[in-house]
Amino acid sequence: MKEYIDSGILEVFVMGAATDEEVRELMYMKTKYPEVDEALKQLEIDMERIAGNMAIAPPPGIWDKIDNEIDDLIRRDTYTAQPVKFRTDHGHNGYERTVQPDQFISIESESNHMRLHKSWRWVFAAVFVLGKIFLGFAIYFYLENRQTQQQLQELKTEIRELKKK
Amino acid sequence: MAQSKLAAVRNLYNSYAAKLLGYIHEVVQDKQVAEQYLQAVFNDVPNEIEELSKTGVNALCRLQIMARQKLVVFFKTFDNETDRQAWQNMSRINNKHIALMTSLQQQVFLGVYYQCKTTSNIAKELNNSEEQIRKTLKECFIIIRTRGNNERVH
Repeated sequence: MKEYIDSGILEVFVMGAATDEEVRELMYMKTKYPEVDEALKQLEIDMERIAGNMAIAPPPGIWDKIDNEIDDLIRRDTYTAQPVKFRTDHGHNGYERTVQPDQFISIESESNHMRLHKSWRWVFAAVFVLGKIFLGFAIYFYLENRQTQQQLQELKTEIRELKKK
Repeated sequence: MAQSKLAAVRNLYNSYAAKLLGYIHEVVQDKQVAEQYLQAVFNDVPNEIEELSKTGVNALCRLQIMARQKLVVFFKTFDNETDRQAWQNMSRINNKHIALMTSLQQQVFLGVYYQCKTTSNIAKELNNSEEQIRKTLKECFIIIRTRGNNERVH
């Protein structure tokens, strides 16, 4: 029995990676041998520990969506377990959902965030650099203009003094 | 009957949604996608409620298995091998338990837990026997348990 427990099959099972045959065998062993049951319970505690370490509180709106979906399914009295596909564009920057034709499509997004194509970052970078260049020019011409005004004022003063003489 | 089923789902949601969302987020590395998978898993809970309510069934482990079944589709969404590799290489060793593991233990644990691979696939990838991979996985749990017990002592 120790050999069975030490084989790592229990760990594979709690992580959901066991084959159907292994699951059947394990269920049998679990009922027959209390030490297998005990080891399995301990592993489940370990799994809860790992999961607890990375827990993220779901946003409040999620339950309402689930509630609505389940209510709707209960009304129709047909639960569908079709695979639902979510994906990220280019791996991680967006998602699409393939929806069954008979499912509702959410037309109002609750997200406050906007998704942009990666190529926009070059446009933003160019706008930022151009902004800095224009700011530099603006400061330069402002200072230049102020200096000219001062020189003009000095010249006017000199002319006035010359006229007096 | 329908209301009691909904109440049972709500109880499970209150108890396990945060843990499950944390797990899914570690897999997909995207908050919105993770939330959608969480929603998809709980939408299926009414179908599994009898199984989940059985004595001796650990609800979190069962929910994680349901999530893994949904996430299989996620792994098919990578456009190319580069995207898949980029996703695989994302560091998940911020988890204090995983940080304590050796490189091989991390490869095995991350492979099974986050990449939903079978031990036979990992064995092939690492050119090792499946028996050895399963023993390595067992070592990972010993590390997790030892750390957990130490935390309780301190």
